[in-house]
Amino acid sequence: MDQKLVIPLKFKTVAYILMAIGVAAFIYAFASDPKRGWANLLINNYYFVALAIGATFFGALQYITQSGWSSGFVRIHQGIANFFPVLLVLMIPLLFGIYSLYHWSHHDAVAHDPILQHKEPYLNTPFFIIRFAIYFAVWIGLTQLLRKLSFKEDLEGGLRYFEKSEFYSKVYIFSLALTFSMATFDWIMSIDAHWFSTIFAIRNFAMGFQHAVVLITLVAIILNKMGYLPFLSKYHLKDFSKYIFILSIIWGYTWFSQYILIWYANIPEETIYYVPRTQGEFTPLFYTELAVNWLFPFLALMSGKVSTNKNALLIITSILLIGQYVDVYMQVTVGTLHHLNIGFIEIGGFLGFVGLFAYVLAWSLSRKPLVAKNHPLLNECMEHHGH
Amino acid sequence: MTKTNIIGVYEDEDQIVEAIHQIQDKGIKIKDVFTPIPLHGVFEALKFETRLPYATFLYGVVGTSITFAFLYWTSVVSYPLKFGGKPLNSLSFIIIMFVATILIATFLTFMTFFIRQKLFPGKEVKVYDTRATDDKFIIVIDKEELSEAEAENVKTALTESGASEINEVEEEINTKG
Repeated sequence: MDQKLVIPLKFKTVAYILMAIGVAAFIYAFASDPKRGWANLLINNYYFVALAIGATFFGALQYITQSGWSSGFVRIHQGIANFFPVLLVLMIPLLFGIYSLYHWSHHDAVAHDPILQHKEPYLNTPFFIIRFAIYFAVWIGLTQLLRKLSFKEDLEGGLRYFEKSEFYSKVYIFSLALTFSMATFDWIMSIDAHWFSTIFAIRNFAMGFQHAVVLITLVAIILNKMGYLPFLSKYHLKDFSKYIFILSIIWGYTWFSQYILIWYANIPEETIYYVPRTQGEFTPLFYTELAVNWLFPFLALMSGKVSTNKNALLIITSILLIGQYVDVYMQVTVGTLHHLNIGFIEIGGFLGFVGLFAYVLAWSLSRKPLVAKNHPLLNECMEHHGH
Repeated sequence: MTKTNIIGVYEDEDQIVEAIHQIQDKGIKIKDVFTPIPLHGVFEALKFETRLPYATFLYGVVGTSITFAFLYWTSVVSYPLKFGGKPLNSLSFIIIMFVATILIATFLTFMTFFIRQKLFPGKEVKVYDTRATDDKFIIVIDKEELSEAEAENVKTALTESGASEINEVEEEINTKG
């Protein structure tokens, strides 16, 4: 029960190599094409912000619904929450890239542009930085608090810390709804400063939530294969698969809600967003995004045998995590770089972030026991049989 | 023609799954189980298998294809109507394809189920024990192929697993089907 993760040396080596590739990719990017470097930094940062938000939301959701089946896996999403401070460090350099990424930060452009003037009280550099600080303060503060409560519960037991966790989970969900929506408007939607979509934040939240559950499933299976979390049964896998399945439909639903309204309304200010995406060099990626994130899990997880098979789920979850990269890539690149460019900078940068993320997650998991032994609903997880 | 079944009546839902396992371990074949509420362990314990989901998937694929074929034919081939400069063959088909797929798949699945189970309006219902619709849980075992000694064994097994009552019920069977 008090087992902690022992990080294998091989894992550390691979993580260091990936990080080195990432550093090399970004140095090369900023030396050769700074704008591409900024765009890639934003893509990777937003990719992991969405994952960390989704994972911590998943954790908070389990607390407020008092779900028992997932109580053996709390350390995984608590470990992912530890990536927020690292993301803060990685996001701060991005503040120097505001000028190259965001059209609304160009004063001379705003002077001749009534739409941007109208949006100026919200979209201006000082307020952008203030909001940036607030988001990270809320995310780091509340997720670290939830982590701490869970560790105290480990030592002292009783229902006190569970009830506190439940309360702060509610606080977290409410503040997350506001902060993540605004962060998405700030960092991603304001790239196309003239354009707006009211469902944009929900669509990206569905993306983060879907892929966060994918990530938690992947980590749980890997830990199980290494000999940890021996209680992981086909009923848990089935429940994870159901989560991924339904969230892929929700993602597809929000994606399509945004697309079909703009398509039918046919207003030039709005359709301009989809013109470069559906026509020209980005077209294959546009359909790949939809196929990988929605159609693929929809068909693959339909069969009961596949959705309870660890090896099959390893492959499916890995493909889905690439699917989210395509999604974020499409949202950022089209508005900033205008051209499809996938090379060493994109792949190396992403690998670097993956290495860093894996390292931070493994480090967090190795610090504390892998199972929250005094979680009041833990027995329900150990004896879980599908419902 | 009639057929005799041995029926074990249980008082509590907690006993039933355990009882099924105990009886199966003794090599006795359970014909069916009736409970007033759905119990999750029962279906798995009885090792029932169904191919219905495969049929549903097939209907879904057929439904999607014929809906797409219909939409494509109406809006691209037979009566192409350009408006707003939009392409004739577009993603806006998805909603109708989605809805029609669900309709076709569920409707045909239900029809398949009814035909396979020989269910139709006005069918005479086979009830082994009316209390299974109220507050009792029953296990049904076919007595036809059992010798007297084996039947005794079955009854002992039922009693040992916690049955409060053991009855023999005759069942009319339709010789045609």
